[in-house]
Amino acid sequence: MRRFWNETYESLLMAFDQIRGNKTRSFLTALGVIIGIVSITMMGTAINGIDAGFEKSLSMLGYDVIYVQKGSWGSMGQWWRFRNRPDLKTEYADQINRIIADNPESGLEIAVPQMSSYRASVSYKDRNLQQIFAFGTSADYLRTASGDLSEGRFFLPHESESGSMVCLIGDDIATGLFPNESAIGKDIKLKNRKFRVIGVFKKQGKFLGLFSFDNQIITPLNAFRKVFGNSGYVTIRIKTKEKIKVADAREEIRGIMRRLRRLPPGKTDDFSINEQQAFKSQLDPIKNGIAIAGIFITGMSLFVGAIGIMNITFVSVKERTKEIGLRKALGARRRTILMQFLIESLSICLLGGLTGLVIAISITAAIEKILPDFPIQFSLLLIVISLIVSVLTGIVSGLAPAISASRLDPADSLRYE
Amino acid sequence: MDNTLIRMESLCRFYEMGDQTVKALDNIDLSFNRNEYVAIMGPSGSGKSTLMNIIGCLDTPSSGTYELNGQSVSGMDDDELARIRNREIGFVFQTFNLLPRLDCLRNVELPLIYAGIDAEERFDRALDALERVGLGDRVNHKPSELSGGQIQRVAIARALINNPSLILADEPTGNLDTSTSRDIMTIFSELSEAGNTIILITHEEDIAQYTRRFIRLRDGKIESDTHAPILE
Ligand SMILES: Nc1ncnc2c1ncn2[C@@H]1O[C@H](COP(=O)(O)OP(=O)(O)OP(=O)(O)O)[C@@H](O)[C@H]1O
Ligand SMILES: [Mg+2]
Repeated sequence: MRRFWNETYESLLMAFDQIRGNKTRSFLTALGVIIGIVSITMMGTAINGIDAGFEKSLSMLGYDVIYVQKGSWGSMGQWWRFRNRPDLKTEYADQINRIIADNPESGLEIAVPQMSSYRASVSYKDRNLQQIFAFGTSADYLRTASGDLSEGRFFLPHESESGSMVCLIGDDIATGLFPNESAIGKDIKLKNRKFRVIGVFKKQGKFLGLFSFDNQIITPLNAFRKVFGNSGYVTIRIKTKEKIKVADAREEIRGIMRRLRRLPPGKTDDFSINEQQAFKSQLDPIKNGIAIAGIFITGMSLFVGAIGIMNITFVSVKERTKEIGLRKALGARRRTILMQFLIESLSICLLGGLTGLVIAISITAAIEKILPDFPIQFSLLLIVISLIVSVLTGIVSGLAPAISASRLDPADSLRYE
Repeated sequence: MDNTLIRMESLCRFYEMGDQTVKALDNIDLSFNRNEYVAIMGPSGSGKSTLMNIIGCLDTPSSGTYELNGQSVSGMDDDELARIRNREIGFVFQTFNLLPRLDCLRNVELPLIYAGIDAEERFDRALDALERVGLGDRVNHKPSELSGGQIQRVAIARALINNPSLILADEPTGNLDTSTSRDIMTIFSELSEAGNTIILITHEEDIAQYTRRFIRLRDGKIESDTHAPILE
């Protein structure tokens, strides 16, 4: 055992000596591995990042909130398929709540109406913001939404009922309209109607980098109607009870909605039931695409890298035939020589892998710096995988030359010039 | 105790070259005692190096027996032969064969690494061996920083370090000038006096004169085997 460690240690020293002695060659050899590891880690980082960003976004939507709408999230970009459906009514929320209340077995907790316009503009004095997402809802809204207030309060049931001209605004609007002062108590203009700001939401970030929760303005539903009429896009937000399966909740909602819509059996639904799961299935092909491309690039570069390393190790064995003969004459056994060359190719691959990791981490850091919103995440698992892949490449590519070296005949090798 | 170190009986080493067989060693009967100091001579191609390879367990005979320390090597595999070489034999080559990137100390300790000896002990013994060949002040020099004679002395130190039963030198002075050769031969003579068994190959008569037994080979056969007259 002690002999084994002694020999391994010496092999390591020799390997580093050899690598140092042939810097350019070692670098070129390692290049394949470097590229492979950079691509594998960048791919993993991208997928991790997408996943993390996605999880964060989904948590904004709420895992236990189901959205009944005219169109389906699962087929984004195909709005025309739902064009001919009748619009939803905000009254459905009350009706659903009544049905829930009558049914003690219901898996649903509460339904909240929401009527929205995504192209509102708000202004305060000479400041003006366009493309604001504005919606009216009930006082129960917060039960179906994430997001805390940084200031102020939500509106109360009586304000909701009477349609008080009050509003809550997202963090971007607050800083956009009131860069140096508190927004609370100020009157802002939404479509030329005055609304008093009673609350500001904490910054939440963008949903999937597309839609910002910080760019929205929330009013009581009746106040929204006063400004926008009845033309807004209606969403019924339904919170499920704890420990209820999404599929069951969907089924229940579907039944209720068909009842409200008086759809006879056999007729297809004329509404959509959306929840965060729909996004997941949208995202999977993207993730798979990245993974396949990444694995392909990684595989190619590692393959080329491995062949290169094998080649160079063979050359190195050839060049050092006499050295191998000498070592054998001095008592090196087959496995000692095998180890020496294996450790050499392993070290090159590991160094290549580490270099690749350093490059990948730097790239990640740079991207994070330049694009703070870009979802990116480096993980320990990736580092471990990269190192394992490097080691495997080293073993695979070094084994054949190392075996051939270990089998050299000592007498012949010593004569070799 | 039996004083025989090496025993060869009807030993042959043939090389198949296409449909031709080269009889590099042809029916050799030879034995060496401990503490012998032997020169093997003969014209080029007579089989000296082949014999040396077999004695040094770098090669095995095609037929016949070869025993070292009463142990037959015929049935041994590569690793067993490596062990024997490591423990029993110290090699000195005509072309020195030091590893250029290692300094003297690390070159000399190489056999000890393969013997599984710890770094500390390796260091002490390598230093000791280098001092014995008069290079105690050059331990951290690389071979490129030494003269031919010094390099060969490092190689001798390396051959000594395992306290081998036998030191084998194939034309150790072949690449050295006359006066350096004399220095090297003096070292061998001292080692012999200290009790080492030494077999060296040479084709120079005056080098052979340092030894006490002369074996002449021709065409793979022993032509003569004579002992130097005992002095005193
Ligand atoms: N590996 C080999 N394959 C084929 N023939 C060989 C091999 N090694 C040696 N021979 C042959 O065996 C014979 C003896 O060779 P050897 O090297 O032992 O001679 P030598 O006495 O050492 O010669 P020199 O003084 O030139 O070194 C020669 O005819 C040589 O051609
Ligand atoms: Mg020869």
